[in-house]
Amino acid sequence: MNIFEILVQYRQAFLNGLFVSFKLALSIWVIGLIIGSILGIFAARLSKSVGRITTIIGSIITSIPALVFLFWLHYPLQAALQVVINPFYTAVVALSIINIFGVSSIVRSSIIDFPKQYITAAKVCGLKKSITIRRIILPLIIRQILPGILILQVTMLQSTLFASLISVEEIFRVAQRVNAIVYRPIQIYTALAFLFIALCLPLNLFAFWLNKKYKVLTSDQ
Amino acid sequence: MLAGNNIIKKFAEQIALDSIDINLNPGEINALIGPSGAGKTTVLRALSLIDPPSNGKVIIDNHQYAFPTSLNKDYEILWPKVTVVFQQLFLWPHLTLYDNIKMPVNQNDLDMDYAEELIRFFNLCDCVQRYPYKVSVGQRQRAAIVRAISLRPKYLLLDEVTSALDVEQIKNLSQCLSRICSEGCGVIIVTHLLGFARHIANRYSFIENGRILETGLIKNLDEPTTKRVEEFVSIM
Repeated sequence: MNIFEILVQYRQAFLNGLFVSFKLALSIWVIGLIIGSILGIFAARLSKSVGRITTIIGSIITSIPALVFLFWLHYPLQAALQVVINPFYTAVVALSIINIFGVSSIVRSSIIDFPKQYITAAKVCGLKKSITIRRIILPLIIRQILPGILILQVTMLQSTLFASLISVEEIFRVAQRVNAIVYRPIQIYTALAFLFIALCLPLNLFAFWLNKKYKVLTSDQ
Repeated sequence: MLAGNNIIKKFAEQIALDSIDINLNPGEINALIGPSGAGKTTVLRALSLIDPPSNGKVIIDNHQYAFPTSLNKDYEILWPKVTVVFQQLFLWPHLTLYDNIKMPVNQNDLDMDYAEELIRFFNLCDCVQRYPYKVSVGQRQRAAIVRAISLRPKYLLLDEVTSALDVEQIKNLSQCLSRICSEGCGVIIVTHLLGFARHIANRYSFIENGRILETGLIKNLDEPTTKRVEEFVSIM
C-alpha cells in the first residue's frame, strides 16, 4: 500500500484531523493575536505596572515547556478543580496562553524600542497625534513586528501536534491511528512532514523576507 | 521673535546649556557655531521645544514658556511655525521622498505647488519617488530641507544641513535661505562651514561648553572679542 492509497482510503480521517488541527491553530492564532496585541500595548504604555507583571508571567510561561504546560492544565489542574474539560479546549487555552504572552512580548518591545526620532520629525512637521499614529507609528511597528509574529504563529501551528498527547483528534493523532492499522510509518510520517513543510516553509520564508526588507528600509536612518 | 532667555538644560546632573541667551528676528539668519559637543543641537532642541529647557524662558512671538512651570504643556500649536531639520534628517523610512514632503504639506493644508518648485530647485526630480534608503545622504538631506521649507515656517532651525551637500547644492541652499528670509522667515543655522556662515548669516553666536561666549554681527566674526573665538576662527 503506497502513501496515495493510504491517503485515499483514510481520506475522511485525515480530513477530519486536518480540520481539527486548523480549528485549533485558528483559535490559538485569533486569541493570541487579539489579546496579545492589546496586552502588549498596555504593557508598553503602563510599563511599570502591566509591563512588569506581563514580563514576569511571560518569562514563567515561556520557561515551561509547552507539553508540560498542556499536561499540567489537562491532568493535575482539572483533578484539583474536580472538573473534566474537553481536551480540545484545554489545548486551546494552554497554547493560546503561550501565544498571548509571545505576541505581547513582541508588541511591547517594538513599541518601547520604536525610534523616537520619527515622532520628533512628525511633531516639528506639525502632524497631529492621530495622523502620526496612523501614518508613521503603526505602519512602521507593523513592519517591525510582522516577521516575529509570523514565526511565532508557525511555531504555534507546529505546537498543535502536542494536543494529540491529550487525545485531541488532530492530524498527528490521526496519522498515528492510521499507522497503527496499516503500519507504514515512513510513508505516513514523511507525508506529514511534507504537509508541514508546505504550510510552514512559505510562512517562514515570508517572515525572513519581511524582516530583511524592514532592516533595509530602516538602514542608514 | 524667537528668543531663549537664560536657558539651562540639565541631563541628570550634567549641565548641557548654561544660561543661554539667544534671539532670532524674522528675516534674520543667525549662525550658531562652535566645536563639537558644545551644545549647538541642544540649543535648537530647546528653542523648538522638542526637548524643552530645564529652566529659563522660550518666547515664540506672543507665546511665552517659562520653565520648569511650562514643562509638559502642549506645544503642538507652535509646529510647524517653528520647525527643525535635524542632522540625522529623520525622514520616515516607509515613505518615498515625495510622500515625506507631501504628507506634512497636505496635513497642514498647504499647497504642493511650492513644494514641487523646491523639489525642482534642489534637483530632486529624479529621485523623489524613491525611498530614503535608496538615495544618497545628500539627496536625503535636500529632501529633509525641502520638507521643512515647504511647511512655510516662520522660524527654521537647521542643524548641520550642509554636511553632505556639494558646493552647487550649498549655493542653492544659500539662495533658497536668502529668499525665505526676504519673505520674513528667521533661520538659525548650525554649521562648521565658517565661509558659508559668513556668506549667508546676519549674525553669529559662538557656543562652547554650553555657554555662548560671543555673539554679534557676522562681519565682526573676523575680529572676535574673545581669545577662544579668535583661536577657533583662525583654525577654520
